[in-house]
This record gives sequence, C-alpha cells and structure tokens, in this order.
Amino acid sequence: MDLQTRIENNAIVVTISGRLDAVTAPDYEKRIRELIDSGNSYFVVDFEQLDYISSAGLRALLLMAKLLKEKSGQVCLANVKGNVRSVFDMSGFTTIFNMEDSIAAALAALI
Amino acid sequence: MPGKNSIVIRLVLVITLSSAVIFAVTLGYNYYQSRVILQNELESNARNLAMSLVNKVEIQLTAVTKVTEGLARYVETDKHTEQKLLSLIRTTVENNPEIYGAFVAFEPYAFSAKSRLYAPYYYRQKGKIVFEGLENSYIDYPYPYWDWYQIPRELGKLEWSEPYFDEGAGNILMSTCSMPFYKEINGKKQLQGIVGSDISLDALTEYISSVKILRTGYAALLTRNGTILAHPLKHAIMNDSFFSIAEERQEPFLRELGKKMVRGETGFVHYKSLVGFTSWMYYTPIPSTGWTLAVLFPEAELLENVRKLSMTMAAMGFGGILLLTLAVIYIARAIIKPLQLLTAATDEVAAGNFDVALPAVHSNDEVGILTRDFQAMQASLKEYIKNLTETTAAKERIQSELKVATNIQASLLPRIFPPFPDHPEFEIYASMVPAKEVGGDFYDFFFIDEKNLCFLIADVSDKGVPAALYMMVAKTLLKTEGQRLGEPDKMLSSVNKILATNNDTCMFTTVFCAILDITTGDVRFANAGHNPPLIIDSQGVRYITPKPGLMLGAMTETVFVTERLTLEQEGILFLYTDGVTEAKNPEDALYGEERLQKALQTAPQGDLTNLIHYISSEVAYHASGAPQSDDITMLAIKMTRNNVSIECAGKGA
Repeated sequence: MDLQTRIENNAIVVTISGRLDAVTAPDYEKRIRELIDSGNSYFVVDFEQLDYISSAGLRALLLMAKLLKEKSGQVCLANVKGNVRSVFDMSGFTTIFNMEDSIAAALAALI
Repeated sequence: MPGKNSIVIRLVLVITLSSAVIFAVTLGYNYYQSRVILQNELESNARNLAMSLVNKVEIQLTAVTKVTEGLARYVETDKHTEQKLLSLIRTTVENNPEIYGAFVAFEPYAFSAKSRLYAPYYYRQKGKIVFEGLENSYIDYPYPYWDWYQIPRELGKLEWSEPYFDEGAGNILMSTCSMPFYKEINGKKQLQGIVGSDISLDALTEYISSVKILRTGYAALLTRNGTILAHPLKHAIMNDSFFSIAEERQEPFLRELGKKMVRGETGFVHYKSLVGFTSWMYYTPIPSTGWTLAVLFPEAELLENVRKLSMTMAAMGFGGILLLTLAVIYIARAIIKPLQLLTAATDEVAAGNFDVALPAVHSNDEVGILTRDFQAMQASLKEYIKNLTETTAAKERIQSELKVATNIQASLLPRIFPPFPDHPEFEIYASMVPAKEVGGDFYDFFFIDEKNLCFLIADVSDKGVPAALYMMVAKTLLKTEGQRLGEPDKMLSSVNKILATNNDTCMFTTVFCAILDITTGDVRFANAGHNPPLIIDSQGVRYITPKPGLMLGAMTETVFVTERLTLEQEGILFLYTDGVTEAKNPEDALYGEERLQKALQTAPQGDLTNLIHYISSEVAYHASGAPQSDDITMLAIKMTRNNVSIECAGKGA
C-alpha cells in the first residue's frame, strides 16, 4: 500500500494505492489517526488506485468514520469501483459511507 | 592455519619488489646519465687532446714550411753563384735540426744554359751533412717527373708530399715540403724550379705513437689518402690504408669513416677500433698537410669507474633491500602475532564459547582497536544470546498457550459429524482452517425448536488472538439470541446492538445467518455483510443475492431484513468465508467466486464431507504452496430425500 495526502479546499485528500489488508491497515490507521489528531476533520479518500480491500481494511475505514464522528468531521470516498466496490456492496458499507465518482464531487459533497 | 603467513608474504613481496624496482630504475638512470655526462665531457676532452697534438705536429710542420719559404724567397731574390747556392742549402740544413734535407731543383736550363738539369741536395746521414746532385740520382726517371716536383709546379704553391720511405738515404719515413720559385723576366713571372725540405716523420710518428690514452687508448695519424702513418698496429704503418683495412674486414662503416677523414672533416664517433675494442674516437685534420689525427678512448676503461660505482651501488642496494625485507618480516610478524592470537580466540567465540578470554590489549594500534571491538562484540553477542534464549522461551510459552487456545477455539465449533444422527431430513458439514493459530472465522448450527435449525457462518475482521476473543463473544451472543428470538433479522439486530455498543476497537463481524425448516426446506435468512452463499439444486449452481446488510458491530442502528428461499430435495446451500475466494497463489491471483462456482459444479454432491474436502483441495491446488493468509471456513447443508419418507412415515404412524 502507498498512501499520499494533499490539501484541497480545506480538506485532506488521501490517495491510497495497492492493497488495504491486515498487513497495511495498521499503517493506514496510524496515518489517519495522526491527521485527525492534528486537527483535520474533512477527508476525501480516493480509491481510484486501490486494488483490494479486506475486512481489516474495512475496519480501518470504520474506525476513521468513528473518529471523525466524534470530532464532527466528515469523510467522503471517491472512485470506489471494481473489486473494492463489490466488497463495499456486500458488506453493506455502501450504506454507511458517502461515496462519489470523482475527487471533485467528493470535495463538493463535504458540508 | 592456512595462509597464516599470507600477509607477511604479501607485504614482503610487495615492499621488496617495489623497492627493488625503484632501486633498479634509479641505478639504471644513474648509469645512463653518468654515461651521457661522461660522453659529453669526453668529447671536449678528446677535442682538446686532439687539438694539442695537432698543434704540436703543426708547429714542426710550420717550421719546415717557413724554412722552405725562406729558401725559396732567397733563391728568387738573390743573384747567386753556384757556390753561394750550395752553401745556402747546406747552412739551411745545418741550422734547422728539424729538417732532414733541403734541395733546390731547377727547371731544365734554368740554372745554366750549359746543363739541362741541376738540383743540388744536402741531407743528413749518420750525423754528417752529405751532398747529392739529384740530377744524377734519378737516371731512368729524372726529377722533374717526380710528384714532389710536379705537384707544386702545376699548382704553383707550397705542397707537402705524401709520406714515403726514402730508401736511398737511410731508409727513413719522410715527407717533403716543396714550393715553386720564380724569376721576373720582362715583367713576367717565370718558373725557375722547386725548392724543397724533407722532414723525417720518425720522430713525429714516434711522438704520436707514444701518446697513451687511459691504458689502451691511443692516437693515430693518417695521410691524405688514408694511409696509416702512426698506429699501434705497427705492421699497418705505410702498408695499409684505412680503406684497404675496410675492404679486408668488409666494414662499410669504416670506409664511410675513412671518406670523411680524407675529406678533412672533424668528428666524434663511437666505433670499434682497428685494434678491436669499442671506443670513442675524435678525428680532425692537420691543416697544413691534410693528414688526419685521431685519438681513441677505450669505452670499457672510460666506463670502468662508472661501472665500479654502479656495482658498488647495486651491492649496497641489494644489502639495503635485504635489510628492508628483514625489517618488513619483523614488523609484519609483530602485527600478525596479536591477530593470530585474536583469530584463535574468535574461533572459539564462533564455536559458541562466549566466555573465552580475548588477548590482552597492549597497544592503541588497529589490532588493539580490533581486539577491543571484538571484546565489545563478544559482550553484546553474549547479551544477545541471553536475550534470545529468554525471548525464545517466552515465545515458546506463548506458542504453547496459543496451541491450547487453538484447541479451545476448535472445541467451541461443532465438530462431530453427523451432528444430528436422528435427523435424516438433512445433512450438514462444515470445516474451519485458521490461517494463524487462532482464527476469526466461525460457523455454528443449533436447533431453535424441534423443526427449525439455525445455521450461520461468520468472519470477524482481522485475525489472531483479538479476532478469536471477539469471535467467542459473537458466537455466544448469536447462539443465545438465536435461541431466544428465533428469527434471523431479529437475531442479527440484537447481537449487533450489543456488539456495537462501546466498540472502541471497531472490530466487527460479517454473518450469514439462516434458519431452515427441516420439514419443508424453507430457509429464512439475513445477511450482515457476508459473502453471498451458493445454492446447488436442479437448476444448477448459482449465487444467491441477499440484501447487503451492514456487518455486526459497526453501527448500532443497523436494520436487517429476513429473506426466504426454499431448498428443494437434494438441494445444497453452500456457505463460505472470504478465505476461500481470496485464497492467493504465488502470482497473487485470487481464487475468486467464478472458480468456486465452477468447482462446485464438478464437485461430488452425494456426500457433503467429500464436497467440502473437494473444494478445500481445489483451493489448496490453486494456492500451490502460497501461504494461507486468511481463515478458510465452509459450511454446506443439504435437504435429503429422506425428509419425505420420514414425513410420510410420520403421517402414517
């Protein structure tokens, strides 16, 4: 997994690529925690280059959503498709996360 | 110890060889430069020597020339009588000891109309001065035809003859200096005759022969046509010329050299002398006669001192290199010794003896530092091994605890098949293979009442001990709530609420939960984010598409929906976790839902045990040795034909 962050429209855009599984999820969780602890509360996670997500990855996303909820923050996922999308559909994550088809739309969807 | 001296040998070789090379080059250069300097000095020395010899010869020759010129002038100006002429010639010979003889030879009838030829000649013989009339000496071949008369007559100037042996008068080697004299008749100069003086060359050649250069070097004199006049080769004197010797020895170089000498050139050459030794020769002409004087310096003797010096230097250098070699051996040994001691000690360490004492450090040099470093390394290795032993022990303890946990977890899942031998209406089989010692997957089945069998499969997020603990809670809750509530949606909602409350770690579990009415084959099911199961019946193998509910534990307010299907006779419902479809091969390709569906089409369907084992082996075949990354859990349930017969039997009873 490779994780890049940048600031766009006062929100953190997180781009993840590769696999988000039991091996990489703790790293993702740690980075997100750091970002949230340093005061960021609006996030867009770009799934464009994510090849695979496991239940551990889902857990990390859930944790992120929970942490943000405590701080009245928001997260919107962008470009959730393919394999990852079917995992989302199957696990019901589609119903609990805001998802958009592009980063721009995701940024617009925040607030 | 193999190669224990290799450093010593290498040091000695490199240092000795390089110093030998440096020394050899220096010595060679020194020898070469000495030669060059010597040669330069030699050229000027040779020139000086040759010039001084030439001067000495020239002084004698000039004296004779002067006498001849004086005689000629006198004969030209004076009106002399015969008596007076004779007395003049005699006095000239008497007064000039360097002169062997003197003559005045007249042109025919020039002296007297009476006599055709007249040529009075006085010369020395045995200490006396003797008279001879040259007109009488050469009867067959009168004097006007001789070279000493003809050449100056024709050239009209003073000439030195080629040296010759005068056999008539005492067999001596002589050369004649002759010049014409004239008389003015009617304002015109008319040749009257030739005046000449003889010089004995014996003294001259003896003088030249007496010149010794170093031990074997010599001076030599050649005539105008290359005849040898003075030379250590006595037999060659007046018998050989430079050219005849060149011819005899077939040496074109000698001929070329001879030509240069005869042309009156001056030169300095390196050549093999006529006597036979290699030498440096300086040659230069004697101006008045055109003879060539050469001085030869034997090379071997010249270079003797340089050679001696070089040999001494070589001997000293050899001694020095020998000394250096010994010093290098000594130093190398001194360095190697502590290294050898250290090596012996570290061999012990390598063999596992960490308590061996390393050699004491006496110095602060590299070996000392190395030894100290080794001491530090030994200490940290010792510490490390100790820690490792402790860690390993701890790990082993955890390992054995985990083993117990594995057994406990396994014993929690129903493992006795068939589980309900008194219920022939259905068959059920399940298996769970954890990826780690303990897993997060589980399955369960239990009767809610007499005819409703609840069965479920679940996958806790994450693996290992946390997942196993969570799984225990989830499994217990699902069973108690299932038995209490009896409907899939209610079961899931209730368990979700309990799990989601205070779920700080955000652990969750996906569950597919179903309740089978074993009398009818009706199945009520609800899905909490789990992989959709497959149904295998007369219509083929296909995935069912349950409504996607959120997994348990994620959000408290999740709503689940109960759906229905009917399992026909011999129909199979196949539940699995993502460990099956996400099993990877070494190329990272997932097993996938498509492969699973195909495998189920070909799988033996008569016995569920075989079916599940078949899928297991297919998954293992796909993985082809790649490590299992997730728990692999499968559950299959099948309605049997016995159902009807039992029902019938029941009705009939």
